[in-house]
Amino acid sequence: MDLQALCEINGASGNEEKVREWIQNRVQGMADHLTQDPVGNLVATKRGKNPAGKSLLVMAHMDEVGLMVTGYEEDGRLSVMPVGGVDPRVLPGKKVVVGKDALPGVIGYKAIHLQREDFSTPPKWENIRVEMGFGKKEDCKKKVKIGDYVHFYSPFEELPRRFLGKAFDDRGGCALLIHALEKMSPVDYDVHFAFVVQEEIGLRGSGAVLKQFRPTCALIVEGTTAGDNPELEKARWSTILDQGPAISYLQGGYALDTRLLDVILGTAREHAIPFQMKGRTVGGTDASRLARTYSGIPGGGINIPSRYIHSPASVISKKDYENTGKLLLALVQNKKYLDVMEG
Amino acid sequence: MLKETLQRLTAISAPSGREKPVQQAILQELEGVIDGHRLDPVGNLVVWKEGKGTHPKKILLDGHSDEIGLVITRIDEKGFLRVDPVGGVNPLTLLGTMVRFGDYPGVVAFEGETSEELSKNFKHPSYDILFVDIGATSKEDAENKVQVGQFGTYVSSFWEMGPMWVSKSQDDRVACAIIIEVFRGLKACENTVYGVFSVQEEVGLVGSSVAAFDIHPDIAIAIDVTANSDTPKTFKRMDLQLGKGPTIKIKDRASISDAKIVDLLESTAKQNQIPFQFEVLLFGGTNAAGYQVTGPGIPSGTLSIPCRYVHSPHEMVHQSDVENAIRLLSKVVARSDW
Repeated sequence: MDLQALCEINGASGNEEKVREWIQNRVQGMADHLTQDPVGNLVATKRGKNPAGKSLLVMAHMDEVGLMVTGYEEDGRLSVMPVGGVDPRVLPGKKVVVGKDALPGVIGYKAIHLQREDFSTPPKWENIRVEMGFGKKEDCKKKVKIGDYVHFYSPFEELPRRFLGKAFDDRGGCALLIHALEKMSPVDYDVHFAFVVQEEIGLRGSGAVLKQFRPTCALIVEGTTAGDNPELEKARWSTILDQGPAISYLQGGYALDTRLLDVILGTAREHAIPFQMKGRTVGGTDASRLARTYSGIPGGGINIPSRYIHSPASVISKKDYENTGKLLLALVQNKKYLDVMEG
Repeated sequence: MLKETLQRLTAISAPSGREKPVQQAILQELEGVIDGHRLDPVGNLVVWKEGKGTHPKKILLDGHSDEIGLVITRIDEKGFLRVDPVGGVNPLTLLGTMVRFGDYPGVVAFEGETSEELSKNFKHPSYDILFVDIGATSKEDAENKVQVGQFGTYVSSFWEMGPMWVSKSQDDRVACAIIIEVFRGLKACENTVYGVFSVQEEVGLVGSSVAAFDIHPDIAIAIDVTANSDTPKTFKRMDLQLGKGPTIKIKDRASISDAKIVDLLESTAKQNQIPFQFEVLLFGGTNAAGYQVTGPGIPSGTLSIPCRYVHSPHEMVHQSDVENAIRLLSKVVARSDW
């Protein structure tokens, strides 16, 4: 299964190589044209029958959040820093894999027995260590370099109505892009399926795609926060599992294009695909970058709701995943999504 | 004329990303005084008047067409609305004010199940404890009137208080009115003048990051409101007074104005005996920051209008500062000796 394979690959921001290789192999033969740019973005283009200068950019990011080795302790343990937004509270006791050879380790923290008032405050990054069993700094240095990536060890699981795993944000989007590329009927305009790097550390990769392509508009497929948890009041939940793809209208740094938003909602209704409006406006996506790059590309956004996002074990709904895929395919083939840009 | 233009523009509800209504009004105001206009892909309205020189310089004037606002994030079982801010809206400012989503006004109020909780919420206002009441009798009733994802703004009126003009969205409709007046008064001149009524400034300088990419202007001047230091116990480290003239920005948190543009504004003001102030703003930013890093970079600066109660429903500017900004910019765009 593509989603499982993609999520189990390790690829924190800046370390997307293996994800890119996997996608490249998978889309061989589906796309008419495949390019990789200098920063590492991969773009698979499906040529249109009569593009007349029009093209659609569909985007998902390949990177996931993770950690990076910053130093060694005398006893061979490692200090680390986050790559992207990682809540230190989700880390203690979790298994990780370190470096290119994916050597096993675990994230350590003070045992509950020894905690007093610190029990109620999140662990500080300076106190979090990764234990790999070396016992000695010199031995650890032989196997682990400063700057090595640390990824969550989190095998994919299929549950009755859910998928459980890491990196749904945004390998879920990557998998759906591949499926749309595979299944789409020919359309008039070119469709560029872009798999981009370094989203999680500040939308750094996506802008470079516009150096090669000047699309009419963009559609971003993302994983987004669910937040349907008891500690939050229902009124403040961002999205709710099983209610369908979440549609964005405002996010960090960008109000999504109102013309594109209308087409997204209209397309979902027309195809009877369930959807929900996002309940919060926090968090950004590459749409914010594309609108600010060169002469500016307007964008819309559809999202797979994810519980426990940015943690070693996130949960998405099978139905939401399928329905986001259906909506994406319908939008990719909907000429209106490009035509509204002219009005 | 100026007052009426400003009155018409501030009356329009057009928050970030939803600027079309105000842009249409701006185009009407400019009828007959521009050579052309276009909307760029992200929605910036660009207008221009061609220069008569053999190699005309290009001067770009920017005023952002968007204003701060709110967006509906959820409609509850009883038809009350939950909202998030569009741009910088302090929830404290909203308490007791009226807002508007389309044709439907709403009252902003805070939750609190006990008087202690209510006082706590008054002390620590946030969007988590704030709701909007549009008078709906049920969820269905509310959903027939408004929808999740709909943007809204303050309800407020335009007031003339002595020399002051007060209304919502002086930030940055006052700049839109200034640019309109500059074009209205523009005689045939050497330079090509662009007016950009940009989008989404309030959510993070979106429009100005891209508006000039295909224009390649020689200079870009953003026009925006700035803070004041002339009300009781306000910013003592700055000197910005209403009625003492528009302010030539030297620096804020987002950009340092190009020295050439500071000189151009200063010398033009002096030559024409137009009052002005210099401005170093300790916080904030304007679209100049977006233009500055567009393409290979554009020399950029800001001319500001001192404003009280910025981002409230009652932003106050001094009539003479607005008029002097128009005089100054009209002289600046006509100059080609730089």
